[in-house]
Amino acid sequence: MNGHRLLARCDNLWAPCLVLALVYPFLTPLENLLFRYTEMSFGAQLTYIFIYAILALGLNVVVGYTGLLHLGIAAFFGIGAYITGILRVAAYPFQLDFLSTLFLSALGAALAGVCLGAPTLRLRGDYLAIVTLGFGEVTRFTLRNLEAITAGTRGLNPIPPPGIPSPLARLLPTLGIAPDFALDYRLFYYLCLGVLLLVIWLLGNLERSRWGRACVAVREDELAAACMGLRIMKVKLSAFALSAALAGLAGSLYATTLGSTAGPDAFDFARSITILAAIILGGLGSLRGTLLGVFLLVGFDNVLTPLVDGLLQRWTAGATGSANFWLTFSNWKLMVFGLALILMTRFRPEGLLPSCRIQHELHDEGAIVEGAA
Amino acid sequence: MAPENQPSRFTFGRGPLVAWVAVAGLVLVSILLGGAGVRPGNPHLVKIVSSLPRTGSAKAQTDTIVNGISIAIEEAKGKCGDFDVVFADWDDATAAAGQWTAEAETANARRAARDPDVMAYIGTYNSGAAKMSMPILNRAELLMISPANTWPGLTKPGKGDPGEPEIYRPTGKLNYVRVVPADDLQGPLSAKWAHELGVRRVFILDDNQVYGKGIATLFIAACHDLGITVLGQESIDDKAQEFKALMTSIKATDPDLIYFGGTTQTKGGQIAKDMVAAGLTCKLMVPDACYEDAFIEAAGAANVNDRCYVTFGGLPTDELRGPGHEFVERYQARFGRPPEGYAIYGYEAGKVALAAIERAGKKDRAAIIAACLAIRDFDQGALGRWSFDANGDTTVKTISGNLVHDGRFQFVKVLGD
Amino acid sequence: MAASLLLAASESGSTGALLLQYCLDGLTSGSLFALLALGYTMVYGIIELINFAHGDVFMLGSFLAYTLVARLGLDRLDPAGRWGAIALLLVVVPVFCATLNLSIDRLVYKPLRKAPKLAQLVSAIGASFVLMNIGLLWGGPADRNFPALLPQQNLLGPDAAVRLTTQDLMVILVTLPVMIVLAIVVKYTQLGRAMRATAQDPTAARLMGIHVDRVIGATFVIGGAMAGAASVIYSLYIHTISFQMGFQNGLYAFTAAVLGGIGNIPGAVLGGLVIGLVRSLSSGYVGERWTSALVFVILIAILVFRPSGLLGSRTREKV
Repeated sequence: MNGHRLLARCDNLWAPCLVLALVYPFLTPLENLLFRYTEMSFGAQLTYIFIYAILALGLNVVVGYTGLLHLGIAAFFGIGAYITGILRVAAYPFQLDFLSTLFLSALGAALAGVCLGAPTLRLRGDYLAIVTLGFGEVTRFTLRNLEAITAGTRGLNPIPPPGIPSPLARLLPTLGIAPDFALDYRLFYYLCLGVLLLVIWLLGNLERSRWGRACVAVREDELAAACMGLRIMKVKLSAFALSAALAGLAGSLYATTLGSTAGPDAFDFARSITILAAIILGGLGSLRGTLLGVFLLVGFDNVLTPLVDGLLQRWTAGATGSANFWLTFSNWKLMVFGLALILMTRFRPEGLLPSCRIQHELHDEGAIVEGAA
Repeated sequence: MAPENQPSRFTFGRGPLVAWVAVAGLVLVSILLGGAGVRPGNPHLVKIVSSLPRTGSAKAQTDTIVNGISIAIEEAKGKCGDFDVVFADWDDATAAAGQWTAEAETANARRAARDPDVMAYIGTYNSGAAKMSMPILNRAELLMISPANTWPGLTKPGKGDPGEPEIYRPTGKLNYVRVVPADDLQGPLSAKWAHELGVRRVFILDDNQVYGKGIATLFIAACHDLGITVLGQESIDDKAQEFKALMTSIKATDPDLIYFGGTTQTKGGQIAKDMVAAGLTCKLMVPDACYEDAFIEAAGAANVNDRCYVTFGGLPTDELRGPGHEFVERYQARFGRPPEGYAIYGYEAGKVALAAIERAGKKDRAAIIAACLAIRDFDQGALGRWSFDANGDTTVKTISGNLVHDGRFQFVKVLGD
Repeated sequence: MAASLLLAASESGSTGALLLQYCLDGLTSGSLFALLALGYTMVYGIIELINFAHGDVFMLGSFLAYTLVARLGLDRLDPAGRWGAIALLLVVVPVFCATLNLSIDRLVYKPLRKAPKLAQLVSAIGASFVLMNIGLLWGGPADRNFPALLPQQNLLGPDAAVRLTTQDLMVILVTLPVMIVLAIVVKYTQLGRAMRATAQDPTAARLMGIHVDRVIGATFVIGGAMAGAASVIYSLYIHTISFQMGFQNGLYAFTAAVLGGIGNIPGAVLGGLVIGLVRSLSSGYVGERWTSALVFVILIAILVFRPSGLLGSRTREKV
């Protein structure tokens, strides 16, 4: 099929894409040109995409590798963000440095994951899904109601940007980067890209490790895996904790980049669902698929929609006056998003760039069912 | 077909030549462009932007604000001193969230900070959103004028959280002003009005948001001073669908009045409805964020008629005289319907932005902020004569009390001085 | 007997009356959740799909009811005419929702029957988004007030400590018969037997000569019709509709279905009632701000001790 060949060709683009991502911040004229016509900083948007990519990779550990449906990843994202907030804002006495905060946020989220997972991971598929969903809501309300700690819906802010070690601070100006996170988006850009690459490298190795194979075994057939002597609960729980830790890491970066924990509503069910849709769209269990899915979905939400709205507004309303309800793209966004999800799952249910294992299975399984029917 | 294990991993092979050529091309173009991509800014143009929640449930209220700003710009005929003025209406909400989001507001602030033509930032609608954009715009030394933020902590030392408002001013300088009176005025005056209405027992609800909770807390403090018994306080979940059980428990405390610190969008209408459904016959008082037709529409006129009291910073449009009245007529003529409460603040914010740019006389953000903060006895707008104080707050102190009657807001009296 | 109990409690002082009132409120809203939960549980029982779009079908039903009331001026009728109007809504809206639900199944889910479960889930999420967007375009972003068609006076007298209105009665009067009819259909009719057989094992059912696709279609029709009925009584009872109501109520209804044991029909009803009661009692005694969190805490606690829900049987996942 033509589409498949196209996707396969896209799959060869990772190395050029990586190089582009690495040099993009130095293509200042390009960034400025894009800003001139779209009024949007692509570098800053890419930073968010990197953060969501870390979150999605975390979710992928549970859903893709281990095959457990997880509907509450946003809770761990939020826990990471709030731990960062508590450890960094001026209102608290801690004021830890950025790297320890990053580490503690991931650790705290992982602990929360273990606490949730230990009693509930023995539940089967959709019961576990609803438990994670419920945990997400409980977390959101706890963040909302424990005002003495989380400042309620006001959120913890402002979170100071990370400090820069002095050798680096001396080096940066020679590269044309201001040594201040608040002034130059490129510092956050490289920070998040760096963490993302680290996570990809880590997961790429884990995927092929003994543990990674154990996860897949649990996904494929719990009973058989248990018979082979795997300790199912241990595998599931470690996957759950790792996923929570990555989500916490992403949350910490999110809060630091935003300079605020935002409010509890930033970590609601809709966030979990968007990220879940991204990894399923991209291809479950596949690093490349996850990255592509996040790029498409978050890009659609954060980049394309404001872009189209801005253009429509300029055409329809001119300099003054408000936009037409029917001619506002954000009012159609959910429809486009929904239709895209439906069509993609219809014509490529294994996702855009599936892991080869899942793709093979699908086709074999399809053949068997076909034969049975 | 590729070997079995290959496609599941990243293939950091060479990749197609075309892609490399494209990347190299981008780099090359970028180098060739050099400084040409940077827009130096058009020396004859200034841009005023607004950042308000334009999708989702607050849309009706922000429509009226944007219309108000538009009228101010149209009256200036798109000119301000020697400059051409353009206005852009930005959205800090997303359809998925249905309300403002921290990301969108931050992105708007960064976008404005970076655009060399933007000289004034009108926003935000939600006090919580202002907390996001204020530090960014402060670093960019860009004038920010809010037509609707009423959380006192944004400007007034000691009236909000510890550290406010300094935490929003990393440069130590002021760049934020508001044309709407803050809640440290509205909250106590509402309580005083309730006392005058004969209320002695009150139950307090809030929506757990910066604005709603803030004004409810101020209302409670004033109740203690006035000797009104506070029977209880509860925060609602603005995503809940109904509050019948809550109203039943409130009914058991037998209040004279329920005060709801919240907005139409955070279920103000549902509160009014469920009071009736639970058989509560006491009064309801709500703050200025419910002063919009959408509130009566959401609550159902029959449920709020003659029992729902609404306070509002400034006079209702029908009561305005002089320039205010003229504004109402122009609005009616231009948009075919009467303005809602906040339209006039949108108009005032637009007028202030234009005046600041004109008085500065040059396209210099710092000079424009200085000109704006120096505004005294401003009377070009529709709110009468007022000044900015040292915190960037308006000296307008008019709070009006209104009652819903026959499906409309009916002006009752001016509260306070 | 119930009436005498009510009267006794209403005279016996406020604490008891208050408790009774909370229970009454809880059971009323709980039966709404139950009606919606049935749609989730039936579809899940047959094709193991969390039909995320179900709540949005319910939402569109409310919008149709709203449009009908506004266009035909049903709220201006005399009291007898209003009961007629409600009867009309209870016919038209369920038919609409059933058709909608069936078309969603045929257009979106049916081509994916053999796809992995997660892909089906994503398409359900997609369908939910599309319907939500239709609701947004239909009714706008703000909350709409649904006019009161029924009086809100207390039937037990204006001064009684317990409040029971015609609206509360209407909820019971509609949900109870609907559930009884459903129980009869599932238990005693040919269709019901076919549904149960398909739920147990689709392949075996097909081998036994059951037209599986038709049975699945019938399930969607019945679930949709119940969502339609729920949307009408919800609108008449809560009086507020918005394009997001499907999501919020769907979340609780789905939770109710899982709580009762997903795929289990009496379980869904029980789960709905439990959630309604928990919400109401928690608002009364714990605090409104913790209500939604408490529902999910109780859900997690129950699932930890009864991993298949309240009435669900311990079945091994198909290997």
